Amino acid sequence: MSSARSWPALVVLAALAALPLTPFMTKYYMLLGFDALLFGAVAMSLDLLMGYTGLVSFGHAAFFGLGAYATAVLLERGVLSLWLGLGFAVLVVGLYALIVAYFATTRRGIYFALLTLVFAEVVYTFFRYTQTFGGSDGIQGLPAPYLWPGLAIDTPARNYYLILAYLALAYAACRVLVGSHFGRVLVAIRENEDRARFLGYNVQRYKMGVCVISALLTGLGGALYPGRAAYATPDLMLWTVSGELIIMVMIGGLGTLVGPVIGGAFFIILQEKVSSYVDWYFIVIGLVLIAIVLFMPRGLFGLRRLLTLRPWRATA
Amino acid sequence: MARDSVVLRVDAVAKSFGALAALAGVSLTVRRSEVFAVIGPNGAGKSTLFNVVSGLHAPSAGRVVFEGADITGLPPEVINRRGLAKTFQITNIFPEISVFENVRVARQSRAAVSGRLGSLWSLPDVERPVMELLEAFGLDERRHQQAQHLSHGEQRYLEICLALATEPTLLLLDEPTAGMTPGETKEATALIRRIAQARGLTVLLIEHDMSVVMGISDRIAVLHFGQKIAEGPPEAIRSDPRVIDAYLGGADD
Repeated sequence: MSSARSWPALVVLAALAALPLTPFMTKYYMLLGFDALLFGAVAMSLDLLMGYTGLVSFGHAAFFGLGAYATAVLLERGVLSLWLGLGFAVLVVGLYALIVAYFATTRRGIYFALLTLVFAEVVYTFFRYTQTFGGSDGIQGLPAPYLWPGLAIDTPARNYYLILAYLALAYAACRVLVGSHFGRVLVAIRENEDRARFLGYNVQRYKMGVCVISALLTGLGGALYPGRAAYATPDLMLWTVSGELIIMVMIGGLGTLVGPVIGGAFFIILQEKVSSYVDWYFIVIGLVLIAIVLFMPRGLFGLRRLLTLRPWRATA
Repeated sequence: MARDSVVLRVDAVAKSFGALAALAGVSLTVRRSEVFAVIGPNGAGKSTLFNVVSGLHAPSAGRVVFEGADITGLPPEVINRRGLAKTFQITNIFPEISVFENVRVARQSRAAVSGRLGSLWSLPDVERPVMELLEAFGLDERRHQQAQHLSHGEQRYLEICLALATEPTLLLLDEPTAGMTPGETKEATALIRRIAQARGLTVLLIEHDMSVVMGISDRIAVLHFGQKIAEGPPEAIRSDPRVIDAYLGGADD
């Protein structure tokens, strides 16, 4: 990533870091900001699959939920180190992702999506009905984790900065990845996977690789969730969450990384604001989403062309 | 001689799709640095032969030996890495990325970092070989265009660039001039011949248009209903009564 091209990202990062200093940022907004940035980052991870490789995962909620349970289980047992929690999440999510990716990547298109969904439903059902992990209540009343003894992530502001750091690192990782040799092959697979095979690429291995990377980034996001919410419940793995993640990527702008971050944040904030006024909030959200998909096929991030007046450059 | 003079040996290869025998025991031998053409009417089994050689289909019977090693039934990506590249009869490119990126992704397949962990964060610099290829085919001016916006003839050239970028020793061309005007065909044929010579390539070519292959091939095999009915230098093939018969449709009775 050249410094010339990364300055807009750094400006946005600085603005987000300065946000808690404004009087407007109450604890409520700090936590809303946490959710917005968290789901933005998770949608960005899904964009590696959807936007760059052309694979639609309908089971990303399971990676998220497994990451959340990984830290929740440790917090419940008094293991409060965030680093141990993250390490455990990488292990659990990584193993599960390897299994899902191995089987799902043997199929294409709708069958790939279906396999990821079925695997996720199995995981959901397991946690929903296993009393060791609290069944449908999940694991509740968790203590806050610490970065090191003495620095607990126990305030909304600390949680906000933690998730901002996660978003920044995940974005940097994704940006490097899509610009790499590996990233170029992913785009080739999206464009024409049969031809990619005839150029000497083991397409299934590349697909498995990107599935695991995307799952790990998602799982790390999930692992940070219990620190903010003090719980992990099976509802985090519900297939509707996977569907919402797909919507976030779509409304933000496929294959742009930044777009899905905006899409995720937009979705979370819209959902929170509308649902505080009406129960049938999803009708309102649905109408907004339909309008975006119909009238902004490149998503919200596509609107940047209106600001810069630069011609669209193809992602490649 | 350091290397075997035989690059590819196809040994009694058969391929059936259900009751249809697309190939019924075809054998041929391609020698180093020659241009070998396989011709035959539509439906003769030419593309099936290519698909078996390049790894898309496993043959029902027979063997394919490339550079002395049995490659029968190996997947396309493995066969490609051994040095056998294929172009497609129906243009098969990466439509929504630039012409340059098309060839880059093909060329970087041979970079040292390819398939290693380092490929997750580094991008091999292949600009020079990519530009050389694009220049050879007159596509360098168009390198920033999306591949889908090229003309048909340019897309056919890009198709060949993709295969050449993987630095093959044997190039399989499946009707490279399909859909070209007679003028373009003439130009393309000359270009292919020139590039094959310059790179010391062995070329295996499929055509159904006899006039295309006569000018550039060293040897020609003729397929008809899945069987080889003749093989030899162009002059001999041109006057072979069985070949004339097949092309005029006389073999049906």
